[in-house]
Amino acid sequence: MSFTVNGVEIEDTFAEAFSMWGSRIIITAKNRKWADTAASTMTGYATSVIMCDCEAGVERPVPEDETPDGRPGVSVMVFGFSRARLEEPLLKRMGQCILTCPTTAVFNGLPEEEADAMLDIGKSARFFGDGHQVKMRMGDGWLERRRFWRIPVMEGEFLIEERFGAKRAVAGGNFLVLGATEDAALEASERAIDAIHAVPGVITPFPGGLCRSGSKVGSRYAFLRASTNTPFCPSIRHTFPDSLVPEGVNSVIEIVINGLDFDSVKAAMAAGVTAAVEVEGVRKITAVNFGGKLGKFQIYLKECVGGA
Amino acid sequence: MRALRLRPKGAPSIPVEAEAISPDIVAGKALPEIEKLVVHVGNTTRPLGDFFDVEGEVAELAAEQLIIVEGGIPWAKYIGASMTGGRIIVEGDAGMHAGSQMSGGEITVEGSASDWAGAEMRGGLLRIGGDAGDLLGAAYRGSSEGMTGGCIIVEGRAGLETGSFMRRGMVVVLGDVGPFAGAHMNGGEIFVFGRAARRLGAEMRGNGGVIVCLGEVEALLPTFVYDATYRPTFMKLYLRELRDALGVREAGKFIDSAFRRYRGDAAVGGDGEILIAERQGGPG
Repeated sequence: MSFTVNGVEIEDTFAEAFSMWGSRIIITAKNRKWADTAASTMTGYATSVIMCDCEAGVERPVPEDETPDGRPGVSVMVFGFSRARLEEPLLKRMGQCILTCPTTAVFNGLPEEEADAMLDIGKSARFFGDGHQVKMRMGDGWLERRRFWRIPVMEGEFLIEERFGAKRAVAGGNFLVLGATEDAALEASERAIDAIHAVPGVITPFPGGLCRSGSKVGSRYAFLRASTNTPFCPSIRHTFPDSLVPEGVNSVIEIVINGLDFDSVKAAMAAGVTAAVEVEGVRKITAVNFGGKLGKFQIYLKECVGGA
Repeated sequence: MRALRLRPKGAPSIPVEAEAISPDIVAGKALPEIEKLVVHVGNTTRPLGDFFDVEGEVAELAAEQLIIVEGGIPWAKYIGASMTGGRIIVEGDAGMHAGSQMSGGEITVEGSASDWAGAEMRGGLLRIGGDAGDLLGAAYRGSSEGMTGGCIIVEGRAGLETGSFMRRGMVVVLGDVGPFAGAHMNGGEIFVFGRAARRLGAEMRGNGGVIVCLGEVEALLPTFVYDATYRPTFMKLYLRELRDALGVREAGKFIDSAFRRYRGDAAVGGDGEILIAERQGGPG
């Protein structure tokens, strides 16, 4: 079953997404260069919890007039399978990637009223000050109450908010772009990423937002819990008996989307698919699922983009 | 908000203790009841109506009550003392203890306020358009804690012992402050845009307490030790808050300033901070 949008076949299927815990942080620095440096370091090696300790990505650059300290910022989102498995990588990554980065500060980007829990990241990170850390209080009794820690470091002083919001979020929204050529699949995917990043509350954790090596659960090797997504590998279309690669398709790229809520992920999928089908050479769009047996959320492509 | 108007009938020869001028006390009462509220005058009590013409609207809840005092009442003490919500506007000067121990709401004194304004304040906002007397936001004698929350902003100068024994909250003085500002301070923030007089931060303990001098500093105690000159990020947050939330435009000029950091008071083993804006010069 399928339908078409802009002449491109869209398979009438769904992306199977999972429940994860997510958090948003705002990194600021003296200038854009150092804010971006901290953000890219913080979100490194965080593509998939299959092998990484968390999934993370840049949500958007934050202009100076939106950050707490008036400096250039970056909004980063981090996802883990449980509250504890979110808190640990958050603390470690902030400690190793933001604290160490010149001129940075880090603030909570998920207010308490939107969060399911508040994580004491700054409260833990403060011990790096070895007793010389200073608690900073703001707004007591007259404005929004906020707490920060000032940690002396060799370069000057590191500022970190005491608590960071976390909430039950949605991870694993996805779709596959099937192209006639590698160039077509890549261009369409790049356009999809640009469109997705206009949607607030989502990240695409893979390199540049794209995953060229989507995986399936398990493998023929007992020691390997995930392996290449053989049904969608064009180069083995005729050697793999259950290939799902249509004739005329020679490259497939997957886009994975994590978001703070279901609607954000769905909106991001809609934006991405709509942008992708505008590119000539895109033959088909589909999505990855496990028959609804594993994930809590089902995001139907038809509900995202409608179609004829 | 519902506005209740109090028009002073004249200036009595001795001060009046007028805790009754508070949204918490007038809310939910009829105008005749408000006129009969008790105020203390010397060793007697008198009805509020002897000193004010009362008119306007009364809210059910304190948070929805606005009280406008039409004129200066420097003879009236304890205006808004212990209030928890609502708003008071004094269109002139206020007497001693205005806003003392208040925990919420807002008081605007368009003129000057006498001593002990905002003493032991716990929350809310106290704006003083003119000068403040001595012991602004301070602890009452015998008490170990002064302000524990809230914000006081003074557009003129403030007297002796501003913010003494402060524990939390913020005091902002756009003019000069007298000696002993922040004495015994153990938390909270004091911002001085004018000249800070001697004995600044005497016996200051720490606990995140910081005195920020954006103007001239008369002298620092020798028990404050210079650490470094730097541009701490946390200062940008405070200065932006002053500019954006309190309308202190002057604060915006210092957002990118370097500050000289002094730590003390070593006389009591304190680790409080005095930060002096670099471009304004240091202690004389």
